[in-house]
Amino acid sequence: MGYFCTYVPEEILYAAGVLPVRILGSHEPQDLTEPHIFAMFCPFCRDCLAQGLKNRYKYLDGLMIAQSCLHIRQAYTSWIKHRPVEFSKFLCMPHKVQSPHAYEFLTEEYKTFKNEVEDWMGKKITDKDLKNAIEVYNENRRLMRKLYELRKRDIPPITGEQVMEVVMAMQMTDKAEHNKMLKDLLKKLENHTPDRETGSRLMILGSEDDDTVFMNMVESCGATFVIDDHCTGSRYFWNEVENGKDLLSSIASRYIDRIPCPTKDWEERKRIPHILKLCKDWNVDGAIIMQQKFCDPHELEFVSIKKALEDAGVPTLFLEFDVTVPIGQFKIRVEAFLEMIGEEDLF
Amino acid sequence: MAEKKELWRWTESRWTNPKLDWKGKVITSGIDVGSVSSQAVILADGELYTYSNMRTGSDSPDSAMKAVNWAMEDTGLKLEDIKYTVGTGYGRVNVPFSQRAITEIACHARGGNFMYGSSVRTILDMGGQDCKAIHCDERGKVTNFLMNDKCAAGTGRGMEVFADLLGVSINDVGDLSLKVEKEPQPVSSTCVVYAKTEATGLLREGWPKNKVLAAYCSAMAHRIMTLLERIGVEEDFAITGGIAKNRGVVTRLEKEVGIPIMKTDYDTQLAGAIGAALFAKALLEKGKK
Repeated sequence: MGYFCTYVPEEILYAAGVLPVRILGSHEPQDLTEPHIFAMFCPFCRDCLAQGLKNRYKYLDGLMIAQSCLHIRQAYTSWIKHRPVEFSKFLCMPHKVQSPHAYEFLTEEYKTFKNEVEDWMGKKITDKDLKNAIEVYNENRRLMRKLYELRKRDIPPITGEQVMEVVMAMQMTDKAEHNKMLKDLLKKLENHTPDRETGSRLMILGSEDDDTVFMNMVESCGATFVIDDHCTGSRYFWNEVENGKDLLSSIASRYIDRIPCPTKDWEERKRIPHILKLCKDWNVDGAIIMQQKFCDPHELEFVSIKKALEDAGVPTLFLEFDVTVPIGQFKIRVEAFLEMIGEEDLF
Repeated sequence: MAEKKELWRWTESRWTNPKLDWKGKVITSGIDVGSVSSQAVILADGELYTYSNMRTGSDSPDSAMKAVNWAMEDTGLKLEDIKYTVGTGYGRVNVPFSQRAITEIACHARGGNFMYGSSVRTILDMGGQDCKAIHCDERGKVTNFLMNDKCAAGTGRGMEVFADLLGVSINDVGDLSLKVEKEPQPVSSTCVVYAKTEATGLLREGWPKNKVLAAYCSAMAHRIMTLLERIGVEEDFAITGGIAKNRGVVTRLEKEVGIPIMKTDYDTQLAGAIGAALFAKALLEKGKK
């Protein structure tokens, strides 16, 4: 089952024996999507749709999305129209997660969704299945938090680029398998000192971001990403499912209470204190705020996040990403930013 | 066929301080290989000794070599007399004899501090293919900066295209644009390609050259203003780079900003290379590689 957004309750799919696979782009220039989606919709949703139209996800039996933003929803609707799949679902994830009614609403939506998945798969999802799925997912989240803990060290044993690869693998593979690999990785990193200078400690935050080329470029300029806030990063796994009234409502609470995406962080901006805490706990020297070009929700957040960070003494650099990033133009901005937050020996 | 005059071609220059003898002094240099122009600045004990300012060719290492050789011409200096070189600008990593590359953002702040004094807090570097608004402290260290978007709109290259289109020498563009009785509406786009199309239309409508230039200079000033508004202008305010020599843009920008723009006797295109040469001196003194 391909999924477009990290608000999809993967636990329910996993319990039914379905493997959720995140839809990501390929970072190749293309014009295939021009007739189907606006050019001023974000490059990520256009890149995702291009993968569908190019039949690169031909192995999928189903495709789904949970409501987050209109751009990615357009990618979903266009995809199922032109490349129909056996099972498709638009899950109505409420925008106003801060409403007290959100829990009950989402639980009811989950009940419907569970029935639909059962009909499709031709079998019941038992409480045992759900419990097992929750445990596998929670273990995965705990292990990822452990991996992130290691990045608090003065010399982090792993780069931001490598962590981004781990998160992408996490969104594509069976979590039980990923757990095994994570345990191995954690063991290897326990006493590992990398053969590179840490340099400035950076945070990267913003919208969907799987641009490893950019991460590599920054980390070769005398810096290390030690923490992130991305849906292809910590936002995806930060929160666990906790025991609640019943299994479905426990899962619903997890997705309602998780570190929000800016489409849902309203009216109270809960993400800002979280970001500030990450900066402090991971001891960052500066933050790169990125977003996919034309991403309205992140654009709206940018002003207040930048202000909050700078008030807390964390300098920021803002960059707008496209399907491919102009490495040269970004490099001068990044180098100048690093010179600004470090390089006292020049004076 | 009559020889076509290259109107966009600005005057290359070099200068040596006649009052200085470099012998026995610590020699450092800064090489700024920009997208349009290259400068070599050589300092003797931190004092400006000699410099050159020329067009960048298609090959960055070659442009760097040419610039430094021209700066050293008739001074008796040889490359091996230079104890530390910092490369900066678009071709900063392609300066063959440099020990270190530093961004032009840091170098313009440091060079601006040297040229305009320690009171300067906002530096606008208006270069060949981009534009940067920089805040700095009293040492010339960057405290914040903002760059324009990824195109050549409102930059030196755009001005060159306009000079060529209108058949006016690039050196005269600014002054000529001020010779209008009434300021015309700015062209609606500073994108070089679109603005060129618009200007062609205006010429066909019978607009005189000075009025078209006024419309373009004013659009450029306005565009830069939007960049400055995003970062804020703290006094004192100075401009570096080639466009700083264009009175048509500077006068209009000064009016929009409402803050006097500082004046200098230095060639404003030298700021990056001066900053680089000063960093070279600091790094040499600290024994940094």
